[in-house]
Amino acid sequence: MYWGGNPAECHPRHFTKYALMPKSKFLPRGRKDRTAVLVDIRPTKSAKAADIFLQVRPGKDFELITILRALIKDQKVSEEAVAETGITLEQCTDLIERMKKAKFGCVFFGMGLSMTRGKHMNSAALLTLAAEMNAFTKFVAMPMRGHGNVTGADVIMRWQTGYPFGITFNRGYPRYNPGEFSTVDVLVRGDADAAFIIGADPGATMPQPAIDHLARIPTIVLDPHVTHTSNLAKVHITTAPAGIAAPGTAYRMDEIPLPLKPALKSPYPTDEEVVRRIKQAIVKKPFWMPEGAQMTAAQV
Amino acid sequence: MLRITGGKVYDPANGIDGEVRDLFVSEGKFVASAEEGRTIDATGMIVFPGGVDVHTHVAGGAINFARAMTPEDHRRTQAFIRSQSRRSGIGGMAPTTFATGYLYAGMGWTTVNEAAVPVLSARHTHEELSDIPIVDKSTLTLMANNEIMLDLMEKGEYERAKNVVAWYIWAAKSYGVKAVNPGGVAAWKWGKDAKQLTSPIEGFTRLTPGDIISQLARICHELGLPHPLHLHCNNLGAPGNISTTLDTLNHLDGHRAHIAHSQYHAYGGDDWDEMRSETAQLAEYFNTHPNVTTDAGAVLFGDTVTITADGPWQHLLYKLTGRKWGNLDVENETGCGIVPYTYRPSNLVNAIQWSVGLELLLLIKNPWQVFLSTDHPNGGCFWRYPEIIQLLMCADFRTECLKKLPDKIKERITLPELTREYTLYEIATSMSAGPARALGLHHKGNLGLGCDADIVIYEEDKDVARMFGHPRYVIKGGEVVIEEGDIRATPDGHEYISRPHYAPDTDEFLRPLFEDCYTMQFENYPVEMERIEKPAIHDCVPNS
Repeated sequence: MYWGGNPAECHPRHFTKYALMPKSKFLPRGRKDRTAVLVDIRPTKSAKAADIFLQVRPGKDFELITILRALIKDQKVSEEAVAETGITLEQCTDLIERMKKAKFGCVFFGMGLSMTRGKHMNSAALLTLAAEMNAFTKFVAMPMRGHGNVTGADVIMRWQTGYPFGITFNRGYPRYNPGEFSTVDVLVRGDADAAFIIGADPGATMPQPAIDHLARIPTIVLDPHVTHTSNLAKVHITTAPAGIAAPGTAYRMDEIPLPLKPALKSPYPTDEEVVRRIKQAIVKKPFWMPEGAQMTAAQV
Repeated sequence: MLRITGGKVYDPANGIDGEVRDLFVSEGKFVASAEEGRTIDATGMIVFPGGVDVHTHVAGGAINFARAMTPEDHRRTQAFIRSQSRRSGIGGMAPTTFATGYLYAGMGWTTVNEAAVPVLSARHTHEELSDIPIVDKSTLTLMANNEIMLDLMEKGEYERAKNVVAWYIWAAKSYGVKAVNPGGVAAWKWGKDAKQLTSPIEGFTRLTPGDIISQLARICHELGLPHPLHLHCNNLGAPGNISTTLDTLNHLDGHRAHIAHSQYHAYGGDDWDEMRSETAQLAEYFNTHPNVTTDAGAVLFGDTVTITADGPWQHLLYKLTGRKWGNLDVENETGCGIVPYTYRPSNLVNAIQWSVGLELLLLIKNPWQVFLSTDHPNGGCFWRYPEIIQLLMCADFRTECLKKLPDKIKERITLPELTREYTLYEIATSMSAGPARALGLHHKGNLGLGCDADIVIYEEDKDVARMFGHPRYVIKGGEVVIEEGDIRATPDGHEYISRPHYAPDTDEFLRPLFEDCYTMQFENYPVEMERIEKPAIHDCVPNS
């Protein structure tokens, strides 16, 4: 099941290499041995690849998921509640029956679910549905991420700080609060007095007040291309593109790390090299705390 | 160079029990004498070899998922503030990587064995391990639910299976083989479990969990791996599982093995209401079979997060607790479940578990066979080991703790009858010399000439937990890393890797199978040696 995602256009290898086509020991006929369902607010190109397309009314994902959760437990749901979602009760019961009959169910959810009205509540509801389906058969759920190696950044932040994003170190140790410490919030409030941007283009995607602040403060961009952010930055350093001319590791959406093997040589340094050289220069400056001083939890 | 003078030395590997001796260190090893360098006056202090954790979960996909699932714990727990000598981080139930190194070294542990790594995420695990400072590390590869392996075993192709195991170990750059709930995690892909050692596994026609255990134990022996099969038995945590555990041990056919966290495998009774301790039976087995070692997997009351490749058990735990549940399926190889959990003294099952862990440590007579562990973070966090040491060394303290447990517990446990108290010599065996020997790390847990100079020095204290929780000095590879309660240096540790022999055609045999059932390229699968920081390779000599 794909929910609120359009892999045909956003993750074009997902069908063929990962979720729908591959033949395997227990699914020797590949696609023919699988049932694919797409839930979305409009029939995207992915709908053609699905056996069943369910067009949910915009903003009604949470309601539909909750109805499905009730139905798998044989709870009654009102006709009106179902009608509001844009899906019929027959479609829901048919879906539930297929889900329960599946030998192994997998739900992939995209930003159409996680970034629309309800946001993380929608994701939580869908994850709960998948967890509860395990009373009947094996079921798992996984987010469809965007932006290249966002999973890798997320994985490393977690092992170094305990948190995936939205982290501040302003008290000398990691603290987490999305909505307060996320980049966009810090910029909009004008809290940051410098910005260091690697492999992202907030100048093209963030709200105007955040972009205005990036233009006010010393902003440094590391990117293989000149981006919107480069144009408002004080410094742009061109780096070798990872995976093409720079080696490294990328984490797949399922958190499996893949080695990047460069096919070309680049005259530009890698991101890693630039960061290391900046770090070496910073080390030469006086430490931010006086020599021998220890900060304690009580002081912060 | 370094001299440590006047300390009371406990070095079980060399039979030294509290003698006052001087130790000399040069270039990270113990030497017969040293003229120059710093002298640490350890007069009146206690000198141990650095601790060795035979079974812990500190790096990789599962613990990192647990970190993501427990931000509420990070918020309330110990914060590590950045300083000139250390990086910032978070302690608690699932500490961050830098904090993990500081916490282990801070209580005198200098070697840790990450006990469950799928080959698919081995690259990730090694990256995390290189961010764990100070301690030396090793990893074990999950092998007992790998579909390619199980297919070979089902077809009776033992020799081929042996080559494939060796190939996987080298591909993962790991140290040995771990078996978790043999067949049960593969069955979990169908939403099932493997509870009977002699019944065929879901998805197979003949292969049973018992077959997997016998063959893997033999393979580990024949490949000449330094550490024998590291085995997490079937039916973990279930009342009445003692029969499965004993049956598992009989399937070893006399081969060596290490039984992981045996606390979770020593229960009697038919259901949760009837559950009781069956440690006497299990301890008797160890007392009569010196070929097997175990670690306690002791439980301590309080909050923790449970993580294990035992997916079906974690689903049960999720249903029991109704709390968060993470489930990871690792394609062809294994899976993993993550459930936050609180052990409560008022809960009869938890109280029995607490007692069972201690009973095993006290009933198994030979400390060279039973090692200190909590199966971190499953039974409790590793930084609580000093609490267990206190429970082992002080029978009075145990009696005090027992008073807080429900009355109903009395007929179900044997702990109140046990008066044994560990000596310092026995603690040094169980926390260092024993696990080092079981891991085949002969230069660890040993203060003899030529061995690694990993030393912990305690100031004698009646409060045992305080003494072991706050060593006066910790020395890693001859370098003073902890002194006067502060981290002085954070050197990078080594990673131990085994290189077993396999037939040269194994690559070409695996390639088509791999292309059939994996989602990545064959060439991208093995971890490159350049990615390992400070590797220490052990070339295995095969046994016939």
